[in-house]
Amino acid sequence: MATINATINVSSSDLTSSPLALSKTMTMTKAGLSTGLEFTSGLVRRKLTATTKIDLVTVGAQMYGTPTASKANKLYIKNTGSSSVDYVEIAIGDKAGGSPEAAEELLGTAGDSFITLGKLFGGDWMLIPFEGTANNDILVTPSTAEVTTIEWMLFFE
Amino acid sequence: MATTTNSLTLTSTDLFEDSLSISNTSTCYKAGTTIGLDQTTGLKKTYLTATTQIDLFTVMDATNAAENGKVYIANLSEDVEEYITIAIGDAVIGRLYAGDFMWMPYSPKLHLSSDIELTPSVATGMWFEYMCIHNFSAIDPVAIDTRIYADE
Repeated sequence: MATINATINVSSSDLTSSPLALSKTMTMTKAGLSTGLEFTSGLVRRKLTATTKIDLVTVGAQMYGTPTASKANKLYIKNTGSSSVDYVEIAIGDKAGGSPEAAEELLGTAGDSFITLGKLFGGDWMLIPFEGTANNDILVTPSTAEVTTIEWMLFFE
Repeated sequence: MATTTNSLTLTSTDLFEDSLSISNTSTCYKAGTTIGLDQTTGLKKTYLTATTQIDLFTVMDATNAAENGKVYIANLSEDVEEYITIAIGDAVIGRLYAGDFMWMPYSPKLHLSSDIELTPSVATGMWFEYMCIHNFSAIDPVAIDTRIYADE
């Protein structure tokens, strides 16, 4: 087992009339246990040079191992750029490989459907649980064909 | 405008032979600008005593699709076996076990299918907290919607 700690701080002195100061630390443990997650994809760095939607993190067997679905897996993604205009759009679903590309819709039981979570502009990051079941790949679509560099890391069991 | 900063540190001394140390700080901006997000649901703390799925954030206006909201959710349970399942529409994002949190961007595109939903694993009572920072035209938690699935 390993001890992996994640701490988030969110603060603002003027978002509301009283200051916001949120801080929380979690230790990434296995589902239903107090023992730590011990597997990881490593910190992956990718340069994207097209506005094509790609599978960033796919479910099932991978070179780094096979994340078990429906556990306490965690996924970190960061847009390492500095642009406040360019972004990568993050979605969950299956790769849209058809032509024309499948429209966004309620997640189906087969491929080519997805639901958008949101956008990561330059410097933005996210940390979410990773379900890892079929059709729950994490997809990214850059807003620009200029070089967009993103980093991601999966912690899993 | 408001200035809201968010930061993450990810550390481990024994996941690898070498230490892991990731640190990020960013500011919550409106999409495509350096103007701060200026609305929030506030940090809400809720106790649920059923395993019924609920909507945390519902899509009130599809024009928010272009926006750049941020969502924070934490499971405050102290029982390691208890978890909440987080979904967006029909897509399960994953499980937050006791003490876990998540932070993600939120650009709600479609009514119903972009709602963020939560399902407790037990009916014996679980605390959790959540917040959205945004500039949406409307957002409000309500009971889960009745939806028509595309394949029905």
